[in-house]
Amino acid sequence: MSITVEIIICAFLLMGGLFVLLGSFGLLRLPDFYTRLHAPTKATTLGLAGLLIGSMIYFFVAEQRLVVHELLITLFLLITAPVSAHMMAKSALHHRVKMVKHTQGQQLANTARKRQPPPSDGA
Amino acid sequence: MNLIWVPLLPLLGTLVPLLTERGGRTLCAWATALLPALSLMIILSHAPSVLSGATLKSALPWIPALDLELAFRLDGLGLLFSLLILGIGLLVILYARYYLSPKDSMGRFYCYLILFMTAMLGIVLSNNLIQLWVFWELTSISSFLLISFWSDKREARRGARMALTVTGAGGMALLAGILLIGNVVGSYSLDQVLASTIQIRESGYYPAILVLMLLGAFTKSAQFPFHFWLPHAMAAPTPVSAYLHSATMVKAGIFLLARFYPVLSGTDMWFLIVSLTGLTTLLLGAYFALFKHDLKGLLAYSTISHLGLITLLLGMDTKLAAVAAVFHIINHATFKASLFMAAGIIDHESGSRDMRKLNGLWKYMPYTATLAMVAASSMAGVPLLNGFLSKEMFFSETLHQSTLGSLSWIVPVLATCGGVFSVAYSLRFIHDVFFNGEPIDLPRTPHEPPRYMKLPVEILVALCLLVGILPGYVIGDLLNSASSAVLQGLVPSYSLAIWHGLNLPLAMSTVALIGGLLIYYNRRVLFQFQAQFPEKDAKEVFESLMQSIIAGCRWLNERLENGSLQRYLMLMLLLTIALTAAPMMSLNQTTGSRPQLPADGVTITGAALLILGALATVIWHRKRMIALLTLSIVGLIVSVTFARFSAPDLALTQLSVEVVTIILLMLALFFLPQRTPKESSPHQMMRDLALSAAVGGVVGTLCYALMTRPFHSISEFFLANSKTGGGGTNVVNVILVDFRGFDTLGEITVLGIAALGIFKLINRMRLFMPAGDERGRPWSDDRYPMILAVVSQLLLPLALLVSVYIFLRGHNMPGGGFIAGLITSVAIIQQYVAHGVDFIKDRLKLNYQWLIGSGLLIAMMTGLGSWVAGRPFLTSWFDHFHLPLIGDFELASAMLFDLGVYLTVIGATLLILANLGKLTTAERPVLTKEEL
Repeated sequence: MSITVEIIICAFLLMGGLFVLLGSFGLLRLPDFYTRLHAPTKATTLGLAGLLIGSMIYFFVAEQRLVVHELLITLFLLITAPVSAHMMAKSALHHRVKMVKHTQGQQLANTARKRQPPPSDGA
Repeated sequence: MNLIWVPLLPLLGTLVPLLTERGGRTLCAWATALLPALSLMIILSHAPSVLSGATLKSALPWIPALDLELAFRLDGLGLLFSLLILGIGLLVILYARYYLSPKDSMGRFYCYLILFMTAMLGIVLSNNLIQLWVFWELTSISSFLLISFWSDKREARRGARMALTVTGAGGMALLAGILLIGNVVGSYSLDQVLASTIQIRESGYYPAILVLMLLGAFTKSAQFPFHFWLPHAMAAPTPVSAYLHSATMVKAGIFLLARFYPVLSGTDMWFLIVSLTGLTTLLLGAYFALFKHDLKGLLAYSTISHLGLITLLLGMDTKLAAVAAVFHIINHATFKASLFMAAGIIDHESGSRDMRKLNGLWKYMPYTATLAMVAASSMAGVPLLNGFLSKEMFFSETLHQSTLGSLSWIVPVLATCGGVFSVAYSLRFIHDVFFNGEPIDLPRTPHEPPRYMKLPVEILVALCLLVGILPGYVIGDLLNSASSAVLQGLVPSYSLAIWHGLNLPLAMSTVALIGGLLIYYNRRVLFQFQAQFPEKDAKEVFESLMQSIIAGCRWLNERLENGSLQRYLMLMLLLTIALTAAPMMSLNQTTGSRPQLPADGVTITGAALLILGALATVIWHRKRMIALLTLSIVGLIVSVTFARFSAPDLALTQLSVEVVTIILLMLALFFLPQRTPKESSPHQMMRDLALSAAVGGVVGTLCYALMTRPFHSISEFFLANSKTGGGGTNVVNVILVDFRGFDTLGEITVLGIAALGIFKLINRMRLFMPAGDERGRPWSDDRYPMILAVVSQLLLPLALLVSVYIFLRGHNMPGGGFIAGLITSVAIIQQYVAHGVDFIKDRLKLNYQWLIGSGLLIAMMTGLGSWVAGRPFLTSWFDHFHLPLIGDFELASAMLFDLGVYLTVIGATLLILANLGKLTTAERPVLTKEEL
């Protein structure tokens, strides 16, 4: 395996690891439910995708065969994670979970709860 | 033709009435009679050789490993009984055609009747004791079905239950007796048992064998004190009584006595028990028969009495008594069957069986009356009829026996008393029903029955007369052959003449006739005397006995099972400790010799998470949702652990099982309170904590001790043979579908049954549906959010793709039908969650019951397929093929088997989950009007 490939794999793995770590850290540190939701669903998913791509390149080079599992897993995660986040946010809204002052888009919470379209800017 | 066809043809014939029922009643009756008639012809074709003294045998291997075979033999006794069973059976079929009303299910009736016929033929032709017992039990069961034929009537159900309980209990005793005989003789073959007379009589088990066998025979033949079930069995339709309670079922006990006569009789114990029982039954039956107002009740008690007479004959110590017993078996069967049929005709045409209402029927049905009177005279023992002959022989034998030593004179005296009452009740049957004034408000105006309903009675009455007048010609050979089979040797000389000169037996007969007349004439006095005794209904006594037994069982059961899961768990855990602690204490060294693996950070973290998850579940066990989540941590860590210790199959299975379980529990939790109240007292908590700590300590130590020691398992064999023997490199899968395929078949069957059971349980269940969560917040009105619905639909093909992939590679790589089935189930459940039942119902037309059924069928067929190739059940087959473009691939029968597993798993999982989920929707069952 050439050093270039190794560097590429390492870069992916490191990047993935970094994002997963960030996601976990965010889960720990962010102030309210809505903001906390971002960390595991966005950062961690991205990090996992990085790890998986690294793995895919490794097996492709090391075992000389095309491995598509990782792609499928990535695809699966990319589809499911946002939906999970959406569902969790929905139930949090339904249960009127408290928000901290800085959470953005607070004014939309009520309309979202009632499943109404957001008011247009001009109105 | 082979003997085996004799019971086999009627057995096949049980299906005939069910198939021809729609073709009309007459067709059904004729079609039903066909196969038994063929059996009768087979028997008749063998009759000449049997009558000349031969014993025919035929055998088929049944369970060779247990030394069991289907063995049949036809000797004189078997011939006599087969003729009775088939002959009277055919007459009863004809009779029942006219007796049953169009409302009754004729097919069902004939089906039971033929089943009973098969069972009786099996008993009398068996040459193997275990086989005999199986048929014996079959008669109990089929007679239960026949007696309870009118199952809407309470007395029919009670009578049937009573008959089944008594004869079934007797059957158990019989089995014990047979097993003891088998133990003594070393074989269950009747030939060998009959040849081992001395061995049995001299073994220490003889008293036990005798008592157990007699219990079997006496319960079946309604001998005192087990006689009480017979009168209550009269709730059966009359053709059943005519068949079962005159010629067959009750005679099975007599047959047993006769069959084992050569082996068991000849000792004082036999003579004493059998003769005293017979004598008591004879007197008791004869006496009570007189007081029965019900026609069939009278006949039932008279049957008891006559059965007692036969038993008494078998219990007397002369050889001629056995001959007389055989003769009376024939005679009783003919006259009693015809009497029952006549009673049935009277009941059928006049609507009543009460002799206080039935009077003067001579005017309305003279023909039937004549037939009934001839049969009843035969029962009373009037000369020129067959009953007279055997009764004469009976009286004569009572004079020649010495069973009771110097008290033996008491037997003929009591026998004459029995004869007196027998004449009296026969007279009552004739005089009360056909003369004695006018009928008293009968439901119907009596008239003669249809032509062919009388035919069976005519045939039987003609037989009574023929045997009575020309006994030697008609019955001599058969009697001789049957008697020699009973005695297993030479038959003493006897004469079947009507006139033996003026002797003591004739005097006894005369006394009986005159005494009977006198008693009947003065019956009012006797009735008044009898009325002073409190009426004791055997039904009530039996029922209260049953109730107290049931109450006792319930008491015992409640001590063990009080519905508290904690208690069951406690008992089981205590038992575990009791069983394991002692050997653990004798183990001196805990740590074994095997080198231990180093513990790394990942493993320790996993173990710590596992422990924390378990602890959290315990701590928050009253908040069910949280407990469920913490429990799922445990499940996930376990599956990761499997993956870490190179068991990818287990990891995959555990993961998918975990998902399905969590969904199932979430659904179940929905219907339960979110928090549970405190159920355990501090006292109980201390107890439970101590107990679980103790169990954990013992099991943990056990695991540690076991795992630190080298041990040899059969894994090596599987690893070595998986590729060569099962054609797959995934050993786990090959074990499941090949090495232990039979286990898997059993397991998926259990899975299917469990799913159906749960489905049945929740199908009509109306559960409380909470309107909001524990804090009173209502459920969201957005039941099926659009994003979830759309994306789920998108995911379905992806998930199915994965499951097919997992399925196909299962034989060689981690995967297989079970995991694939679970993945498919999860994918479909996802659709249910996202779209709701209504949406899915229109789009997914899968019947889960059918899915389970077809899965099981495929797996079963795959197993059976190896029979076609002449290999043992579930032998797998595999080969490699080449297809252009795709390349080399392997086909294995195991894959088909796995498909069965796959379908069953999907069906079972979805049947449970979809139906439990349905309870939360508008599809849930509602109260119907009747239920309100």
